[in-house]
Amino acid sequence: MNKPLNPSDLAKPSECLCHIEPGELAPLPPPYEDFNQTAIPPLKPDKTKNIEASLDDTVAIGIPKPASREEEEELVRRFLAGLQKLFEKENNWTFLQPLMLSMEHCAKCQTCSNACPVYEMSGKKDIHRPMFRAEVLRRIYNKYLKPGGKIAAKFTGDIDLNWTTIARLAELSYRCTLCRRCATVCPIGVDNALINHEIRKLFSQEMGIAPKEIHEKGTVQHLKVGSSTGMNPLAAKDSMEFIQEEMEEITGYKVEVPWDVEGADILLIHNAGEMLAWPENVGAFAIIFQAAGISWTMSSEAVGYDAVNYGLWYDDVQFSRVAVKHADIARRLKVKKILIGECGHAHKALTVIADRLLTGDLNVPRESAMVTLEEIVLKGRIKLDPRRNTFPVTLHDPCNIVRAMGIVEPQRRILRKIAPGFREMTPHGVANYCCGGGSGFAIMSGYNFAEWRNLVSSRKKFLQILEAFKDETQEVPKYVCAPCSNCKGAIRDIFGYYHAEERSRLYYGGLIELIVNAMADMKKPIINFGGEPSWTE
Amino acid sequence: MGFYILSYLCIAVFALATAYRIYRQFSLPVHVRWEIYPVQHEPAAKVAYGGSYMEEIDWWEKKREQSLLSELRYMVPEILFIRGLWKENRCLWLVSFPFHFGLYLMIATFVLLMVHAGFTLSGATVFAAGSALRTFLDGLIAIMGWMGLILGNIGSLGLLYKRWTDPELRNYSSPIDYFNILFILIFFLSAFVSSLSGNPLLEDARAYTLGLMTGGRSPAPYMPGQSAAGVVAIVSASLLAAYIPLTHMSHMFMKYFLYHNVKWDDAPNRPGSRIEAAILENLGLKPTWAAKHIGADGQKSWRDIASSAPKEEKK
Repeated sequence: MNKPLNPSDLAKPSECLCHIEPGELAPLPPPYEDFNQTAIPPLKPDKTKNIEASLDDTVAIGIPKPASREEEEELVRRFLAGLQKLFEKENNWTFLQPLMLSMEHCAKCQTCSNACPVYEMSGKKDIHRPMFRAEVLRRIYNKYLKPGGKIAAKFTGDIDLNWTTIARLAELSYRCTLCRRCATVCPIGVDNALINHEIRKLFSQEMGIAPKEIHEKGTVQHLKVGSSTGMNPLAAKDSMEFIQEEMEEITGYKVEVPWDVEGADILLIHNAGEMLAWPENVGAFAIIFQAAGISWTMSSEAVGYDAVNYGLWYDDVQFSRVAVKHADIARRLKVKKILIGECGHAHKALTVIADRLLTGDLNVPRESAMVTLEEIVLKGRIKLDPRRNTFPVTLHDPCNIVRAMGIVEPQRRILRKIAPGFREMTPHGVANYCCGGGSGFAIMSGYNFAEWRNLVSSRKKFLQILEAFKDETQEVPKYVCAPCSNCKGAIRDIFGYYHAEERSRLYYGGLIELIVNAMADMKKPIINFGGEPSWTE
Repeated sequence: MGFYILSYLCIAVFALATAYRIYRQFSLPVHVRWEIYPVQHEPAAKVAYGGSYMEEIDWWEKKREQSLLSELRYMVPEILFIRGLWKENRCLWLVSFPFHFGLYLMIATFVLLMVHAGFTLSGATVFAAGSALRTFLDGLIAIMGWMGLILGNIGSLGLLYKRWTDPELRNYSSPIDYFNILFILIFFLSAFVSSLSGNPLLEDARAYTLGLMTGGRSPAPYMPGQSAAGVVAIVSASLLAAYIPLTHMSHMFMKYFLYHNVKWDDAPNRPGSRIEAAILENLGLKPTWAAKHIGADGQKSWRDIASSAPKEEKK
């Protein structure tokens, strides 16, 4: 049963502020009805007794509870100090204007709620309204940092500030995928996802609070070791050697990966996770670039072979450090442009956000792989046979490439040329739904967060995929083209969780694999459906 | 004379508060890009599906195409008819549109009243009593004024009802949200009653505006006090003018910045550009974020910090 929650309820202690009962989640169609009564597995008390776990049925960060009253007060004080800094240009020039505009002009019309897939799929739980967490921040700011705020709060919206409020707010900032669908529908132009982004920043940059997967094992490891996967430069080169061999074995096509070629036209940077989880994606790039006669290179320098920039989701400083490293490596290699592989957040991070960070010779042009691949495919620089891709294909639009960058058509023009069975999801393009793994969710799996993601934040995408293939029979293998590593990770997990391969023969992969699969020179297909080759000669 | 002084004071507050809000936007540092597509100043072919210049190969070597027409094609229906709400939240639009359009018509009526007063004061023969221009302007003021009052009353009553009865809105509404709508409703209602009771061509509004433009020394200045509704209408309209730019209702004009400076701010940072100069300035700012990994001490600049490794954190 949905008990209405008000932003001020966040401050009121309770065991679980928002619990989802079995049957409350948006229903799934056949043959997945057996999941309609599935609930998020309860957190184990011994694992959560010392951390903040009272927001809902899951935990993303696991913030230790304060040991004393003094410690609690100190944490509240630090929170307020950080909140103040969000509104200072020395500390937050990066987002000051967008933040102020969104903080000051929300009319609380709730139009954003209907656009949010997490809110809709959660059974319309109040805490998942995009404006809920924004309103919490707004009320705290107005009451505790504005002159006369405590009196004004009685009229403008009150909230108590205590450890519970703060810790729940930190957790709540990791229930939004930052897909920004809410921002596209706001009639005023308010961006509640941006406010969520700023909440995450406050916690990370002032209090050192962030999920370990994106901070400690993410940006910190990336900058220290060379990749958020933990691969150092030697391991990265080893992986690529293995991929070269495997590509030859799979496709019968011998490829060479050029490393550290000074003056190459293109520096290609992949999400290094591809090398480990989807080596065929990385190999497929090498095959196409070689076949098209592109002048390209990869970098073996630490950070230079991993395009990810998790700072985008939670910390401007960590973001800047990674972006500067990427640009500096390209500058020293004297390449004409940086090309970002199939990784959505890396696209937005290096192309759009870092654009107003990189100056002088660090401002090396950056381009999306979608655009370069379109040029190769549509200009006929490789020979293609679309009859090799006759299986049904649908396209997932990564939010960071599509809604945040406006790169919508290049990937579609490619698909129309190489995949006769291509059909759109509804809605698609800039109105797409997030995979549910955005803003770091795809790599976060502590406590029971992965189950929450599969059941709640990725649910809408799963419904969309099922809808796109509803006219196909069960036995036909179906391909979800997701040109983004994090999206692929999220889709892999939902397919696994719901047994979608067994029940609907759903498979997923990138765009580049589809192109290589259609290459006339290939002796064997690169795409297989559960061991079954996608084409035979 | 007291009413005129109140109106002058309120107009001054409106002008100052609006100017301050706008000045503040221009004085804020250049921020990182955070655009969201569709960006409506892209050429029409790209706007149709939300595409950007970044879809072009080597886009930085090409001239950037922008279309004012595409932008206007979006903005005009958005401003006048609240197209976004029509598309995304039809139920709310049914009350929000008359509310907003009613306010627009009242602003337009006020502009016409000033034009009317200007002509009257000029003594131009073309505006003599019974002239075609005067008759036309009188008629236009009456039509726009009445339409504005009717729509405004329907809209503000509807918004108040909706906010009170719709649990989705009610649960997130604070006293100030009701107060704001009630305030506007009081103006619409009092102006409506005042006009209805022997003032059908908004003669009093014409006289008051003329009085406003002459410091109350016009030949026949309107003196509120003749009717209670007239007093409330003048006072509430004056106070509203001062109040709106102090509140979130300033979105009426601040929406420009929300769209142009954030949602559609896709201007690339080109070498040697004004944007690059602003970024260089920003990179010299000295943050004081306290988390250890940041390594800020109030002395190091963003440039220093961005090119350093994160400080090791104790486990």
